[in-house]
Amino acid sequence: MLANYLPVLIFLLVAGGFGGLLIVLGFVLGPRKPDSEKLSPYECGFEAFEDSRIKFDVRYYLVAILFILFDLEIAFLFPWAVSLHAIGRPGILSMVVFLTILLVGFIYEWKKGALEWD
Amino acid sequence: MLTTILFYVFSAVLVGAALGVVLSRNPVHAALCLVLAFFNSAALWLLLEAEFLGIVLVLVYVGAVMVLFLFVVMMLDINVAQLREGFTRYAPLGAMVALLMIGEIVYAVWFRQLGVNLAGSAPALAPGSNTAALGELLYSKYMLPSELASVVLLVAIVAAIVLTLRRRPNLKQQDINAQVAVRSIDRVRIMKVDSVTRS
Amino acid sequence: MNTLIHWWNLLGADGQHLVVMTAQIVAVMMSVIVSVAMMTYAERKVIGFIQVRIGPNQVRIFGLPFLKGLAQPFADVIKLLLKEVIVPAESDKFLFLLAPLIALVPALATWAVVPFSPDFVLAKLDAGLLYILALTSLGVYGIILAGWAANSKYALLGAMRSAAQIVAYEIAMGFALVGVLMAAGSLNLTEIVRAQSHGYASYVYPWQAAGFLSWNWFWLFPLMVVYFIAGIAETNRAPFDVAEGESEIVAGFHVEYSGATFATLFALPEYANMILVATLASVLFLGGWQSPFEGYLAADLPLASPSFLWLFLKILCFLFCFLWFRATFPRYRYDQIMRLGWKVFIPITLIWIGVECVMVWFKVGPWARVL
Repeated sequence: MLANYLPVLIFLLVAGGFGGLLIVLGFVLGPRKPDSEKLSPYECGFEAFEDSRIKFDVRYYLVAILFILFDLEIAFLFPWAVSLHAIGRPGILSMVVFLTILLVGFIYEWKKGALEWD
Repeated sequence: MLTTILFYVFSAVLVGAALGVVLSRNPVHAALCLVLAFFNSAALWLLLEAEFLGIVLVLVYVGAVMVLFLFVVMMLDINVAQLREGFTRYAPLGAMVALLMIGEIVYAVWFRQLGVNLAGSAPALAPGSNTAALGELLYSKYMLPSELASVVLLVAIVAAIVLTLRRRPNLKQQDINAQVAVRSIDRVRIMKVDSVTRS
Repeated sequence: MNTLIHWWNLLGADGQHLVVMTAQIVAVMMSVIVSVAMMTYAERKVIGFIQVRIGPNQVRIFGLPFLKGLAQPFADVIKLLLKEVIVPAESDKFLFLLAPLIALVPALATWAVVPFSPDFVLAKLDAGLLYILALTSLGVYGIILAGWAANSKYALLGAMRSAAQIVAYEIAMGFALVGVLMAAGSLNLTEIVRAQSHGYASYVYPWQAAGFLSWNWFWLFPLMVVYFIAGIAETNRAPFDVAEGESEIVAGFHVEYSGATFATLFALPEYANMILVATLASVLFLGGWQSPFEGYLAADLPLASPSFLWLFLKILCFLFCFLWFRATFPRYRYDQIMRLGWKVFIPITLIWIGVECVMVWFKVGPWARVL
């Protein structure tokens, strides 16, 4: 099994090397003439007047948390889907129960308006 | 041979990244070090042939949990100087927790061994897909625990919504169902107006 | 020549294997990169024709009198490399330069598990699909880091929008993949393609191989639609490109990038991911390298035999859809995008997983022999 992962490792290294090479090439080939206007953040011609790392709506965190939960659900579904032939009908029933419980959560989200974006 | 070298490389990076999490001053850098640490632990699991677990570690922890961490760390505007003030006050408590953890780990590894023979190698896996084998166990022998996992997820969904969902008052929203269901009669009234003849 | 052979023999079996493998990897990576270049050209040409323009038609390969405009993407690459790399003064310089790499590496490394033909795949992973899902979930890091490191308001806004959007569609994508797994019974992409010709499907039909009718799209059509549209949203392409939204937040997360960093952060990963989504849609739903006429024509005809060219054709069709959609649909509003992801796609995929459960239970269709 490990031998199968060797190409993946090499690919990661080769791709990383290629990306690094591109960036280095950009530095080597391109001109370097910095000035303070060029290096200031772009703001449609205004001077930047506030720290740009602003606080964001709590909604983004909610989306991220819900994403984690559904991602976990997918992680549970993957082994189930590939072992269908082995687990048979009891396996399907257990997943039906699993999904029904989570469906309750999904409906709760929906009704509470957590999926709405405004 | 190669496996051993890789093990030491990944472990070294893992330890370095974990140190980075604790020592780095910038919270975003710390979070990224944690990402690197998760990556290397996933690689270590892969070296143990725990294919499914290794990739799911990347999928769930790196791809989802750390995204939330980054959101929080980047956007909450954490004042590092303010956090440092509490350092001496919380240091004893932190040290106690750390000692307790170390004690537990040493106890588990040294004395109990958790039923695993640490000196020898792990038992060889059955040939075939790791994922399918896991699925077979999870949905037959360990059916009840996996159902319980869904209940835990449900609790987490409800908790997340209760804690973070704030309705803003007098907010105007698009109601798509209402838009689709609208009839011309609700919107347009045709008035009968007598024409006026100019005398 | 003789010294070369001498060195080659010195390497030993393992070393030779490693060299061949690395050469294959570089070859695949280079083909992806050249495809990206051709894709940018095709995009400008196709959208040009849709809008009754001509598109690029000046730059020629070494000044040859034919194929005018074909060298445009290469000229673009050279231009981008010769531009100044601007690193904003107040940015986090290390992360600013790291973000393009983080965006690029997963976009390229995913290709390691794509089966190009019946016997050519770089890494025969048993958990291939899971690997793809894990790597695509990393793409969001490049965007978040680029947006945050640049210390620019537009970049941060674009990054946040993009992150929340990618995250929403990833779930729909994951559920759609679960549907595919139920039909294929394996996470290995080669097996998934095989299962579409003589797996469960062939038990349904009176003839042995049913060509294009036995592919997954037939039973999983809603999932294919969800997968492809989620793929468009995942790659931040029009009409889901509010993250770039050039008319409101100028360019979103890559507003501060220029030259080579722009090329590695934005152009390469975005197009490589587009081609990847098209490839995966072909592999998962349209039978990969298989011929649509298998079983209808005599088996020894080239038209009926599996080949990389079939995969190539299918990828081209999906890629054309990408360009077609971009030229056709107006940009979605952000709340509409989120609504589509959470309230339309996730329910559709969940319902279809339920439908598949029922089909497995009652032994319908390709699932006749699962239980």
